[in-house]
Amino acid sequence: MSESVELVVIGAGPAGIEAAVAAAQAGAEVTLIDSSPRPGGQYFKQISKAFQSDDHTEHQREAQELFQKLASSNVRVLQDTLVWGIFEGAQPDTWLLTLHGSQAPARLSARAVVIAAGAYDRSIPFPGWDLPGVMTAGAVLTMIKNQRVLPGRRVLLSGTGPLQLEAAAQLVEAGAEVVGVLESASRLIWRGIPYLPALWGQWARMREGWGYLKTLAGARVPYRLGWSVIAAHGEERVNEVVFARLDPQGRPILQSRKTGKVDTVVAGYSLTPSTELFRLLDCEMIFDSGRGGFLPRRNENLETSREGIYAAGDCAGIGGAPMSRMEGRIAGCAAALRLGHGGEDQNHQGKTALRRERRFAKMLGDLFSPPAGLYTLAKEDTILCRCEQVTLGQIREAFTFGAQTITDVKNITRSGMGNCQGRTCGSIIAQIMAAETNRKPEDVRYYNIRPPVHPVPLEVIEEHGAEKAPEREG
Amino acid sequence: MRITKFTSELPAVQRGKAIEVQVNGRRAQAFEGELISTVLQAEGISVFGRKHQTGRPSGIYCGMGVCYECLVTVNGAGNIRACQTLVADKMKIETEAQVKP
Ligand code: FES
Repeated sequence: MSESVELVVIGAGPAGIEAAVAAAQAGAEVTLIDSSPRPGGQYFKQISKAFQSDDHTEHQREAQELFQKLASSNVRVLQDTLVWGIFEGAQPDTWLLTLHGSQAPARLSARAVVIAAGAYDRSIPFPGWDLPGVMTAGAVLTMIKNQRVLPGRRVLLSGTGPLQLEAAAQLVEAGAEVVGVLESASRLIWRGIPYLPALWGQWARMREGWGYLKTLAGARVPYRLGWSVIAAHGEERVNEVVFARLDPQGRPILQSRKTGKVDTVVAGYSLTPSTELFRLLDCEMIFDSGRGGFLPRRNENLETSREGIYAAGDCAGIGGAPMSRMEGRIAGCAAALRLGHGGEDQNHQGKTALRRERRFAKMLGDLFSPPAGLYTLAKEDTILCRCEQVTLGQIREAFTFGAQTITDVKNITRSGMGNCQGRTCGSIIAQIMAAETNRKPEDVRYYNIRPPVHPVPLEVIEEHGAEKAPEREG
Repeated sequence: MRITKFTSELPAVQRGKAIEVQVNGRRAQAFEGELISTVLQAEGISVFGRKHQTGRPSGIYCGMGVCYECLVTVNGAGNIRACQTLVADKMKIETEAQVKP
């Protein structure tokens, strides 16, 4: 039997918390589901319960305010719970979610769902990127901010966007030796001029970025524009890194190549939206490379092409925490309204503020997307799908076998069939396939996905017979 | 390495109670509230797993539960994400089990 609720919000990051609280305030009955032990998502990730800190940073104050809002609402929160499937429900206009978590019911039926699943680091494969010691900027931020542990002693960072600046500054604060920060984007000032209006009003963010640059300058960390790591060497862990200047397309200029001794390489090429649930629901997707790739199409209430399914925050296009919070409120109110709660559209103001955030998101996306040439770094024997250990050479063979989409590549090579369900390799292989076979991303598409979207114990799935969608009752 | 240097941007944190775990049969110090990956890092271990297809080493990559590169064996149960799982007193952690599909 499944429990029935009005609204389920998936993901307790900035977008999910705002959505849940807004809907509950409008009078909806809301269940908020999150995979972590504590709410916050990646941006407001909390330290472990058993840790104590007297963190009085601005960021922490903002986080506490948000948690306070959640705690004083009547949202039911299920932490430590994975949503591994979502299906059309037995009753018309309902959705059925299958869950895995010690405190959670196995199934939940909802009349509306806000998906706020967030995003994760985008990877660029290069020879040696799968060696231990090579990791994402997000991993480093979590280690330092939440666990107070260093990833290594001598670190090179390579990537694009503000996230890696923050990671570099944190590494310096924590006492690591940062040998350099390589930013793949070049001519930032020149290219940034048309976007100057988008910076208006973004003072807090500029202050933050300036702070990171100051920390790096104080530690004499070189920050190079138009450079990237091109290979990592080592047996059981990276011990040497090769990096080079990039040409305007982002391909490495081999004559400029340099090597350095490091024990850690941090690679963070912006973010990829978490779109598994939208794909499982067969939501209509659009391609927007500046916002992170394939995204669910939404109307102005942030509802997807499936009625009653809303998308808020970075999972629907990379935009950062302030934008996610605004979208959360809009989606939460819209979902509540759909369920017959709340009055007239209270979102008018919110939508104006959202337009400003979107301008800023567009600027970041346009300036800091990994250039196409970076996808030429992998060699024939470089592993692209880590889970199934599939090399670029094997992927290319699938192209010559006549694969038309990356789902064909998956069926031929097993890429994307492992534990991570293609989260790491999906956008990489799609990009390489589009470039090498002269296709558009819209034609290469994204991996088809089937439940469970997270590995869960076999007993859990068997209980549902989830190879197909659970049977309609009645 | 656990961080011991603190600044205003990176304020001090009081870890939980000191506990003891076993890592590959050896005793190791840990603190409540730490992730398995943190304890392994503090022990200087960077290879968490080995791919059964190729024998290649794997370790922490995404640090947020997405990539499944950090799988270890905990109290005999395989395929546990070290970056998502808190340590507990007397926990037995084993690395480098070959990850099975
Ligand atoms: S490091 Fe990616 S899941 Fe643990």
